[in-house]
Amino acid sequence: MKDRSLFQRLFEPPSLTEMAPASRILTYAILILWAIVVLFPLYWVFITSFKLPFQVNDGPDFLPFLDFEPSAHAWRYIFVELGNDTLRPYMNSVIIALTSTVLAVTIGSLAAYALVRIQYNVKIGTIAGFIVLLGATVYAVTQFGTPWHVTAAIALALFFFFATSFGRHFRRSLGNNDILFWIISNRILPPVVAVLPIYLMFQRVGLLDTHVAMIATYMAVNLPIVVWLMRDFFAGIPIDLEESAEIDGASRIRIFATIVLPLARPGLAATFLLVLILAWNEYLLALFISTADAQTMPLLVAAQNATRGPQWWYMSVLIVIMIAPIIAMTILLQKHIARGLMVGAVKG
Amino acid sequence: MRVQLKDIRKSYGSLEVVKGLNLDIAEGEFLVLLGESGCGKSTALRMIAGLETITEGTLMIGDRDVTEVLPKYRNVAMVFQSYALYPHMTVAENIGYPLKLQKTPKEELKRAVLAAAAKVHLEDYLERMPRQLSGGQRQRVALARAMVRTPSVFLMDEPLSNLDAKLRGVMRAELKRLQAELGTTTVYVTHDQIEAMTLAHRVAVMDAGVLQQVAPPKEIYDNPATRFVARFIGSPAMNIVTGGIADGKVTVQDGEVPLGGITPRDRVSFGFRPEDSDLVSPEKGMLKARIFSTEMTGNETIVTCEIGTDHVVVRMDKDFDMAPDEWVGIDVNPEKARLFDYDSGERVRA
Repeated sequence: MKDRSLFQRLFEPPSLTEMAPASRILTYAILILWAIVVLFPLYWVFITSFKLPFQVNDGPDFLPFLDFEPSAHAWRYIFVELGNDTLRPYMNSVIIALTSTVLAVTIGSLAAYALVRIQYNVKIGTIAGFIVLLGATVYAVTQFGTPWHVTAAIALALFFFFATSFGRHFRRSLGNNDILFWIISNRILPPVVAVLPIYLMFQRVGLLDTHVAMIATYMAVNLPIVVWLMRDFFAGIPIDLEESAEIDGASRIRIFATIVLPLARPGLAATFLLVLILAWNEYLLALFISTADAQTMPLLVAAQNATRGPQWWYMSVLIVIMIAPIIAMTILLQKHIARGLMVGAVKG
Repeated sequence: MRVQLKDIRKSYGSLEVVKGLNLDIAEGEFLVLLGESGCGKSTALRMIAGLETITEGTLMIGDRDVTEVLPKYRNVAMVFQSYALYPHMTVAENIGYPLKLQKTPKEELKRAVLAAAAKVHLEDYLERMPRQLSGGQRQRVALARAMVRTPSVFLMDEPLSNLDAKLRGVMRAELKRLQAELGTTTVYVTHDQIEAMTLAHRVAVMDAGVLQQVAPPKEIYDNPATRFVARFIGSPAMNIVTGGIADGKVTVQDGEVPLGGITPRDRVSFGFRPEDSDLVSPEKGMLKARIFSTEMTGNETIVTCEIGTDHVVVRMDKDFDMAPDEWVGIDVNPEKARLFDYDSGERVRA
């Protein structure tokens, strides 16, 4: 093998476990190129946050101290002059994104687990009955002014009576897949369509521009994503494990807490991160629901593009402090998003 | 503890998978449920465990009616085919899990885990994770977890079928010894008739949701109650040839076998085991056949013969030497031959 031609030495792998020099060079070239494409904008934002307005307008300079003299004026403005006006949206973002994510992941994973392990069999007749009674309740309250709680109680009683008597005799029923589709269908409509009704609803109950409204909205919007993602993770857990625990004497909640959740940890971490990022970056719903007190960071960033034209230097500072916690969270959760947790559970 | 299944049925919608199962399993007995996949044996086991509801019938463990009782209150332990080890817990945590759920004090739990691990020779592996163990070791962990809380019944769902052939033989012997030592009533499901024959005090053969026969292994082998049991038990299987009975003889295609004192019938399934027959010269044999193939296994030769289009297997010694397509005669030991009703498959006795 000594007298291999240059061509062979370049394009043939020297051994089974190594890459050919040419493919190695190509692979690294592509990776480095892509890394630049991804990282350069971040770098640009970072240095822009240290530029004075005239330096930004002067054209693209990329090397601090050589091309331009860095200045912390934008940082001072955002943190000192604006002070609370920056801190409040920042804390709002943290509170709203974290709370809504925790709630969405908790409720969503419980729902996903139920949809994986329990076969639902909802009769279409029962659903139709529910809708009819709901319509009748609304009609009675709005048209005849009957007290709403009495009407609702009567409708509920009628519904249970209907479901346990006539409802049983309907043949057609909906299964878990229909429920799942219904859940994801909440995400099919663009948010713009739903934002006006949501706005009006919160206006009527007087919750506009509050944390509660923002958290509730984000949670509802992100629930379908959690259910769909977590369903796959739960379905990947062998049912033998749960049955074994059941015989060993564990209750359903106990099985969920001590067997299912630890095994679904990678899925939970990934879902948590995804939903957190979605909530952290959400703009449209925040634009409608919050005005001042519950304003979040994306709104503040957008506000820097005001009548005086885009204030790139302030915007860059805000973007940098917005990105930082997400990166920290990703690094924190990364070790949980590990593969191969299921190895050794069942023969494989 | 004694386990009784009284006319137990299981249906999924209109599909009935277990059709009236009656079993009385004595205290300390090792009972094997044997059958092909889909015959309802696993469903029967899962009903005893409480993982499946019982559509109809009564299940008793000891003196208690547990038909409607939750699995965790039945005090049964189950070993799954997949072992079902909790992958995020160490071996010790796996074995101790049932005790932890019972809120056993720490010291006692530790002692019980050690004792159970010692029984299956796992003392040195207690801190390992399941993924660091071999298949046989995982199997032992599953066994130890089942033993640790001294259940009233062991339930085993094909616990050995994921092991390779050699390890399976070793584990089979260990399992048998363990069960004898502990004296715990055991219900064991398998499709492997060798496992059934070697392990069981009694074998219960099921087919299509119906119990065919419950008897000790030797009885099952010598006196199968139905044609299904006859074909299922034994390797190579019992030969079944269709014929008729007249004048104290069973007449089949190409020959007849004298059998005294049997009422005449038009059609009957005539069965004999490969070791209860012998190859002789064509003119002397009771049945005339042609050699189809011969397989030397080391200690014996399995000879497959053709009678018309039926295949019949005869077990000969290792020095047997005849070429395919040669004509031979088959002699059958009339005392060991068994007759079955052609239509129902039920055993026909004198």
